[in-house]
Amino acid sequence: MDRPDRPGSGPPPAEASLLNKPVDRRRALTVLAGAAVAGVQALNACRPASTLSEEQRELKLLAWREYIKGNYRDMTEAERAETIARLERQALVERGSAVTIQSTGAQPGVVFGYAFNISKCKGFRSCVEACINENNLDRNADTQYIRIFEIEDGVVDLDHADATFQHEVPAEGHFYLGTQCFQCADPPCVKVCPVGATWQEPDGITVIDYDWCIGCRYCMAACPYWARRFNWSAPEVPVPEVNPNQHYLGNRARKTGVVEKCTFCIHRTRQGRLPACAEACPTGARVFGNLLDPDSEIRWVLEHKRVFRLKEDLKTEPRFWYFSD
Amino acid sequence: MRFRGGKPMLHSLLAAGLLSACVEDDSPGTGDDATVEPGGPATAAAAPVRDDSLEPGTLGSVRAIPVVGWSGPGGRPFEVALRTRDRESGHARRFGTITLRTTLRGGTPDLVQYPCTSCHLGRTVAMKDTRIGDAHQNIQPRHPALLGAVCSTCHSPSAVDMLTLRTGDRVDMDQGYRLCAQCHFAQAEAWASGAHGKRLDGWQGRRVVMGCSDCHDPHRPAPLPRIPFRAPTIQRGGGHD
Repeated sequence: MDRPDRPGSGPPPAEASLLNKPVDRRRALTVLAGAAVAGVQALNACRPASTLSEEQRELKLLAWREYIKGNYRDMTEAERAETIARLERQALVERGSAVTIQSTGAQPGVVFGYAFNISKCKGFRSCVEACINENNLDRNADTQYIRIFEIEDGVVDLDHADATFQHEVPAEGHFYLGTQCFQCADPPCVKVCPVGATWQEPDGITVIDYDWCIGCRYCMAACPYWARRFNWSAPEVPVPEVNPNQHYLGNRARKTGVVEKCTFCIHRTRQGRLPACAEACPTGARVFGNLLDPDSEIRWVLEHKRVFRLKEDLKTEPRFWYFSD
Repeated sequence: MRFRGGKPMLHSLLAAGLLSACVEDDSPGTGDDATVEPGGPATAAAAPVRDDSLEPGTLGSVRAIPVVGWSGPGGRPFEVALRTRDRESGHARRFGTITLRTTLRGGTPDLVQYPCTSCHLGRTVAMKDTRIGDAHQNIQPRHPALLGAVCSTCHSPSAVDMLTLRTGDRVDMDQGYRLCAQCHFAQAEAWASGAHGKRLDGWQGRRVVMGCSDCHDPHRPAPLPRIPFRAPTIQRGGGHD
């Protein structure tokens, strides 16, 4: 909105430029927004000066500018930097939480894949704990991306598997299988989104622009794996527990009425690190790596182990395989 | 232009309403003066620093030695992490400045009695295969017993600080994987290739893996049961979702 080439930033009144020139909708909105900000300020001028403190004024402006911003995919690098600066400032002023939000892009020649060893997993749920801490998941609603199923030996039947076990593990005669977002190569959730708020990145991670999501939850209905979670209330994370290392498309603060999901810890994996679940797993049951690198650990597993995926017949092509020793 | 979202309609209504409510356009206010400096004065205290001991940014501090005899996929060399002996407690395992809070319960007890030669010097206290001495009551030799092995199968009576391979070669305690791999070659291959064992690194760059005895007690290798982290309260089909 600071671009000089856009109408409304110069002397001609915003309304006039709107009426006289053909403008696309986004530009028109930007102009209107600018005018609205001016309106708010003019309204404030009529009121006693003490009604709004400097900080409240700042927050209102930040919120407004956030409200009218575009889809992350359409933003220029400069616009991304602006919104990130606003979000970081909001986090600091509103919640007293100093965070760093990245916009790190996908590395060229990288597509992420995951393998899960069902003979190693012991059902400790260390991954679940790490995921909650790493991704700033709502402590109030107790959101969890990962589910660990306890299944009787001899069958892979998730209909009769127990994801709510709370006893000493591993239990005799059972094995454990974890699910999360599988980052499908042909993701049905992306196809159904009516507003383009969720998409697949070049490295295979399906992401959500939380500020573009309208909360219709079509994606949740479309996902055959129940990988997505909805925020019925504003997520609550105690400030000392907030992970300040965040990504715009990942673990940054979410709000009421938007959908979220596992992003293979996009803020970590794009920097060459392992997802938090893989790093926390004490048994080494989780293997993560670059599918395009023939010398990666994940490729070794796919080439040397007997692997399977869940609901393969749906042709969603999950990038998440299960194997056993 | 792609259509993305229904929100803009609301924007325009809101903006139009505000415009009509305020006829006088305060043009200086529309400009950049509303831009917020990200580095502006912090009004609230910054959050306390998070415990970053698990962050692999500190991987450079991990003490590790190159693995001998095994290489990763594509012949890539890798390293085995060395546990530091100070400040270990509970289930935490320390490697340099990285402390792993979660590891297999029932891993190797700390080598508090190391070096072995502090007692087993000369013939004063001889290592015998017939019984476990009072000083080693913490050892449950389940694994060797099942295999019909004895102390000297792995521990060299003449060089107790070292481990003995079947070939007669002696290796350092930090190279315990070479001992295990003599029988568990399938596991060793999976370990080298990334399908077994805990990684302390990323999927890119340096590869550092924990050694066998960091998770498995060599005398009793099976992990002990434990109480899992809390179960999810939201279920599919239950309640809203």
